[in-house]
Amino acid sequence: MPELTMTVNGKQVTGSVEGRTLLVQFLRDSLALTGTHVGCDTSQCGACVVHVDGKPVKSCTMLALQADGRDVLTIEGLAKGGELHPMQEAFRENHGLQCGFCTPGMVMASVALVQENPDPSEEEVRHGLEGNLCRCTGYQNIVKSILSAAKVMRG
Amino acid sequence: MSVPEIGQSLPRTEDERFLTGQGNYIDDINLDGQAHAVVVRSTHAHARINAIDVAQALALDGVLLVVTPDDWKKEGFGPMPTKTAIRKGKNDMDLAEPPRHCLAMDKVRYVGEPVALVVAETAAIAIEAAELVDIDYVSLDVVVDPKKALIDGAPQLWDDIANNLCLDFELGDAAATQAAFDKADHVVTLEVFNNRVTAVPIEPRGAVASYSPETDSYLLYNATQNVHANRDTFAESVLGIEKEKLHHIAPDVGGGFGVKNGAYPEPPLILYASKRLGRAVKWINTRSESFVGDTHGRGQDSTVELALNKDGKFIALRTTTIGAIGAFCWTVGPFTPTGGSARTQGGPYGFEAMYYQAKAVFTNTHPMDPYRGAGRPEGSFQIERVVEKAARELGFDPVELRRLNLIPRDALPLKTPMGLDVDCGDFPEVFERTLKLSDRAGFDARLAASREKRLRRGFAIAPYLECTGGGPKEFAGVTFVENGTVDLAVGSQSTGMGHETAMPQILAANLGLPFDDIRYHQADTDKTPIGGGHGGSRNLEVGGSAVLQAAGEVIEKGKVLAAHIFETTPEKITFEDGAFAEPGTNHSMTMREIIDASFDPLTLPDGMEPGGLNVGSTFERGIISVPNGCHAAEVEVDPETGKINIDGYWVVDDFGTIINPMLADGQVMGGVAQGIGQALMEEAYYEEDTGQLVTGSLIDYALPRADDIPNMVLAFYEDAPTAKNPLGVKGAGEAGCCGAPPAVVNAVLDALKDYGIENISMPLTPEKVWRAIHAKG
Ligand code: FES
Ligand code: FES
Repeated sequence: MPELTMTVNGKQVTGSVEGRTLLVQFLRDSLALTGTHVGCDTSQCGACVVHVDGKPVKSCTMLALQADGRDVLTIEGLAKGGELHPMQEAFRENHGLQCGFCTPGMVMASVALVQENPDPSEEEVRHGLEGNLCRCTGYQNIVKSILSAAKVMRG
Repeated sequence: MSVPEIGQSLPRTEDERFLTGQGNYIDDINLDGQAHAVVVRSTHAHARINAIDVAQALALDGVLLVVTPDDWKKEGFGPMPTKTAIRKGKNDMDLAEPPRHCLAMDKVRYVGEPVALVVAETAAIAIEAAELVDIDYVSLDVVVDPKKALIDGAPQLWDDIANNLCLDFELGDAAATQAAFDKADHVVTLEVFNNRVTAVPIEPRGAVASYSPETDSYLLYNATQNVHANRDTFAESVLGIEKEKLHHIAPDVGGGFGVKNGAYPEPPLILYASKRLGRAVKWINTRSESFVGDTHGRGQDSTVELALNKDGKFIALRTTTIGAIGAFCWTVGPFTPTGGSARTQGGPYGFEAMYYQAKAVFTNTHPMDPYRGAGRPEGSFQIERVVEKAARELGFDPVELRRLNLIPRDALPLKTPMGLDVDCGDFPEVFERTLKLSDRAGFDARLAASREKRLRRGFAIAPYLECTGGGPKEFAGVTFVENGTVDLAVGSQSTGMGHETAMPQILAANLGLPFDDIRYHQADTDKTPIGGGHGGSRNLEVGGSAVLQAAGEVIEKGKVLAAHIFETTPEKITFEDGAFAEPGTNHSMTMREIIDASFDPLTLPDGMEPGGLNVGSTFERGIISVPNGCHAAEVEVDPETGKINIDGYWVVDDFGTIINPMLADGQVMGGVAQGIGQALMEEAYYEEDTGQLVTGSLIDYALPRADDIPNMVLAFYEDAPTAKNPLGVKGAGEAGCCGAPPAVVNAVLDALKDYGIENISMPLTPEKVWRAIHAKG
């Protein structure tokens, strides 16, 4: 089986995977980083979003080998030194999650959205979430969370 | 953290775990040495199984076992019974219940029905092997439309069930209703179609099972909403073992909405496989499997007739429904189109008489089970659609016609002609508050602005009446630990609604303890002797009441201890603001001090053991509660494209006492979004001749995304707590999807009224809207 090396949440990891192993499977099964979820098999739901070299990626749609040598950030690596990231904090304050299953992907996508567009309008946020499904919240509090986190992240 | 209050928007305990990737969902659970299972599902909607050849599958390296229907027969495993509360129909007819086994016996009756289970070293091998299971089918004629299924000569699903009729149900007074229709000045009739949808929680279903030969018992982790009832079914009905031999736990569950309530075939299959292999077995559905393998909801065709006087007063309502229930009676499947849809008929309006009749019908489709609301959204849609039609047809203002017919406050309490006990509330006030929120005065300006953009604008208001349901009993256990922790275990279950916060909030507020002292336990058959799980908006009503009752019992025990310490009698002790005191003296001890004292053998009265404040309390509801409220929607429609934009959405809800407004808001928002999904986008669509599910993936089944859902303005009417339970709560979980479909659909039809379009059936996709506009030229 081919070998790979990547940085995950700041730590270098190595492993061997089958050619067909998806990035999400590598993260969940080999590294036991189960915060990244799988909600579909057609690349629709976004529960699996992680960052690869700083860009949001659906980890169910990328082979683990494609991430060889790259820098991966998952939900487990977002909080720093016991401090929640402003996006995580905003989701908690604004009740931006219910069952929590879409949440890791939603938060990772939202962080990328705000990094890309630090002062988004509500419409831009709603549009920017088109790759992420949530069945619980009706999105209103997710949008509110992102707008409020954007303010904090702008400083 | 300090002592919380009822009515406080406490942030959620579970959030930190979920936000940092530390949630523990079913797919995150891995047991040592586990094997992986994949279900082989029927590709036919109706066929005889000639033969199942597993040789090739078994020959694949890494395959451990293929479970077939023959294994099931050999073991003598039983079917999973339906637990619907409605079992009798017209003329004392009994519900027709065919046996529902975990694997298809001799015939398949819907696409997705489990036929075999493959277990292998890895999930990838199991998937590959599942494709190698060779099933020789002889196809049979298919029927997916329940109306056609009833006709003589239609394909028959079950040899001994004539015309595919499961149950012919009625409620209300047929004769009195007919008499009212006879004397009515107007009768307005509408055909209403309630589209078949499915819940699509973002977490697919799955389970992990293991068997211990030492104790001859099983452990099952399962993404279910109801560990106790499903344990009983799996253990007693299927495997034929004592229920105590099956320890059933639901970990964090990623959404349910009813679709995870019922007893599914996969858990018993992997329980059996785990015993045969002597290894733990894990099974996780894919999303595509979920579409063909999860229960569906709604799916009703109804004729609604409204009788009115010439002044617009409603006098009678008659609804005749044909409700699909799929190929089998699922866990409570036949209940939804019958009793479930009957109870709230007529909404919050006054009627002299009502009559509801429904046929629950078998078809070659996945069986139905509750989906958020389970009958009440259907009832609400029926009445609101016919009222809107009546207003238009008879020339009444739709707002005025509703205002005229709402049950006035002073008419409460009353029993509706459907037997629903409506104890309190103020429907006219809730209606007026909703109107006020929605800024009716500004409508004309907004209409003009839309016209400028060549868009049509419409408005609708939809008051609704709801009721709770689900298991009537709930258990709350409070255990004090010497280190200061308080364990609270309740038999109801959260699948995202925030029980881990709301339930400790109730206990802490009533005992005067810091919120952080309480540790919450749920969904574990070893933690509570009984449990009703999730469903019917029942958690606060019965579970919350059990917690309150348990708190009361702790306080009573605390008074005995305090009296002993103060050297007086318990009747003299008061408990206020978290402290026990003897008025007229300076004797006072906080709850925390009394708890600490309860662990000190030297301070205990005779008969009290250390830790003697522990209680286990069962609450049983008498009569179901009646949440109610009102929705309003304003929409813009682009006649060029048929695209609908919901431009304003307002809700006022009467849920009785609000424990945690933030959580209650969340329930409404989520419910409204699902209602909007049903109204505009979603449909589980089966092809007529083949019974293939066309909407079998998230590419084909349209789930609302962030830009499909508007911002909602929400408010609560809190002046009418119910006396039906000690908390005064009415239930919040399902109300959102009762109000949204009629509000949105009626608003769209209002926007299109110049085209003379009377009806468009849900979902109102751009294509359907465009066609309706262009058909009218
Ligand atoms: S798991 Fe659904 S998009 Fe990746
Ligand atoms: S919080 Fe449950 S799917 Fe988003």
